[in-house]
Amino acid sequence: MYTSILLQTAIIFALYFMGEGIATLLPITIPGNIIGMLLMFIGLLLKWIKVKHVQTVGRFLLSHMAFLFIPAGVSIIESIELIQDDWFKILIVCVLTTIITFAATGLTAKAVIRLQEGWKRKK
Amino acid sequence: MRELITSPLFSIMLCIGAFEMGGWIHRKTKIDALNPLLIAIALVIVMLKMLDIPLEIFNEGGDMINLLLGPATVVLAVPMYEQVEILKKNIIPIIVATGVGALTSIGSVLLLCRAFGLDEALLASLLPKSVTTPIAVEVSVQHGGIASITIAAVVITGILGAVIAPGLIKIFKLEGCSVASGLAIGASSHAMGTSKAVQIGEIEGAMSGLAIGIMGIFTVLFSLFL
Repeated sequence: MYTSILLQTAIIFALYFMGEGIATLLPITIPGNIIGMLLMFIGLLLKWIKVKHVQTVGRFLLSHMAFLFIPAGVSIIESIELIQDDWFKILIVCVLTTIITFAATGLTAKAVIRLQEGWKRKK
Repeated sequence: MRELITSPLFSIMLCIGAFEMGGWIHRKTKIDALNPLLIAIALVIVMLKMLDIPLEIFNEGGDMINLLLGPATVVLAVPMYEQVEILKKNIIPIIVATGVGALTSIGSVLLLCRAFGLDEALLASLLPKSVTTPIAVEVSVQHGGIASITIAAVVITGILGAVIAPGLIKIFKLEGCSVASGLAIGASSHAMGTSKAVQIGEIEGAMSGLAIGIMGIFTVLFSLFL
């Protein structure tokens, strides 16, 4: 059976809404959207939700994710004044640490995957 | 005329127009640095200044777009589920690499801020810059940071990640390893970087989405010890 666009939207919004609800009950800060993502993942694993129930709207949202960040990006102009004196240093910190974090994560993942494969082959 | 350009409808059309323009420039030039998101943000800011539209007015429409970010994060679970076999097979590398990433991110911000002589409030504001906005703001404020600076740092990091990710994959020779590439993008530049990872490939997108959540949780945990 085909799940209508409206119903798909309702399922996705409902999971997000539940995520936000659970987030308010937790003692530490985990955002509602991340909890909603976990709920959706668990729902899919347990087959309560099928991919086809959210596919059309899900694909639309994922393929337009970059677009959705425009207002967030535009709102930087609000804090520009606050960081006037240090903006260049802050920019450099952001650039360097992003590259360092990327490298640390990517290279660690690659090394551990290699180790794991080597270990499996020996067994 | 004034009523028209200050309506939420105009903000949304402005974003769509700017993003389409950004996409067109990106396709024509084929330069990664001319990322559609980056161009769109710049174009919208220029238009707002030219038309003298205050940010609050723009945000009446902008918030409608913002509202969809939550559901977009939720549906990241779909590619994750479709790649669940790869996820199971790589669970150890995923946890180890993201943990190392979170430590490296916090450590490198700490060292660089000290090296540049930035004050404690700025340090606290920048510390969680590689994680998703809601977690970042919380961690920042708990350590005496300023929320709006944190948001700016998170956004700059995100745009940067989306722009330089393809280049970094080549530089660090991660081309053959979609799992490592995806994790690196998600851990270093959260959901904005993930928007690029989704375009690079399905495994990259799934791993990047996963890394946002794990990175956020690790950062909250590690920051408790600071």
